[in-house]
Amino acid sequence: MYGWIWRHLPGNVWAKALISLVLAVAIVFVLFQWVFPWAEPLLPFNDVTVNGGGSAG
Amino acid sequence: MATTEHDKGTEDARDEGAGNAVRLPRARTRGRIGFAISVFGEVLITVGLVLALFVVYSLWWTNVVADRQEQHEAAKVRQSWAKQPDGSPGPLDTGAGIGFLHVPAMGKGYEVLVKKGTSVPVLNEGVAGYYTDPAKAAMPWDTTGNFAVAAHRDGHGAKFHNIDKIKKGDPIVFEDRDTWFVYRVYAILPQTSKYDVHVIDQIPKESGVKAPGRYITLTTCTPVYTSLYRYVVWGKLVRTEKVDAKRTPPPELR
Repeated sequence: MYGWIWRHLPGNVWAKALISLVLAVAIVFVLFQWVFPWAEPLLPFNDVTVNGGGSAG
Repeated sequence: MATTEHDKGTEDARDEGAGNAVRLPRARTRGRIGFAISVFGEVLITVGLVLALFVVYSLWWTNVVADRQEQHEAAKVRQSWAKQPDGSPGPLDTGAGIGFLHVPAMGKGYEVLVKKGTSVPVLNEGVAGYYTDPAKAAMPWDTTGNFAVAAHRDGHGAKFHNIDKIKKGDPIVFEDRDTWFVYRVYAILPQTSKYDVHVIDQIPKESGVKAPGRYITLTTCTPVYTSLYRYVVWGKLVRTEKVDAKRTPPPELR
C-alpha cells in the first residue's frame, strides 16, 4: 500500500517526500477536524454526568 | 564410482530441470501470499497510527481547543460584568455563563466558567455545566438547594481532572458578579454508578445530610481516562461575601 503510493507519486525522491508529507498532514487534519470529533461521543471515555441512561458530557 | 557419480549428476540435472519447471508458479503463489501479508501488515500499522492519533487528539488537542474557548468565554463574562453598573438587578445571562468556580485544591488560581447545562456541546467548551437534566440544579443564590455541576475529567479542558485532590474541609468558592459563595467540602464519594442520580438531589442524602440547605455537588467520571463510574464531591455553604470594587478574593483563595 505505502510502496504502491510511493511508486505512483510523481517526481524525484525529494518531490515524493514532500508530497508524502503534505498527504500525511492532510490526513491528520481530516482526522482531527472531522473524524475524531464524530467518533468521540460514540466511545465510552468521556461521560461525566449522572443520568438515567444516555450519555451526556 | 564413476557410474555412480555420473548417475548422480544426471539425477541432479533432472532435479534441477524439474525444479525450474515448478519454480515459477510456486514463486508466484509465494509472492501473492507475501503481498497479502504485507498489505495486512500495513493495514495494522495504519490502524495503530490512527489509534495513537486519537489518543493525542482526545488527551491533548481537545484540551488546547477547549482551553482557548473557555478563556474566550470567561473573558466575555468578565467584560459584561465590568460593563454592568454596580447593583443593577442582575438576572444573569445564563447563555454566557453564570460565574466562576474556584477550587484551590485543584491548583493555585484554578477557576472555571460555569454555564447552563451538562450536554456534550456545553462541556466540550472546556467549562463546567450546572445540571438541568435529570434534575434541575439550584442556583447558589437560592435560599436552599443543591448547586450541582459537572465537567470533563480528561480532554476538552479536563477541568475536573484533579478532583481526587480535593479533601474533606477544602474550600470551594463560586463567584458571580456580586457575591463570593464559600462552600466547604464535607463528603466525597470516590465511585458510584452513573445511574446514581440521587447524588444531585436537592438534599443529597447519600452525603449524609437530611435537612434542606445550600449545597454544592461536583460530578465527573472516574477512573481517569474512562467513564465507568462517577466521582462526587459535596460541599456546604459556609458564608457569602460581597464582591468589592477590586474583586478582592476571599481569604480561602489567597
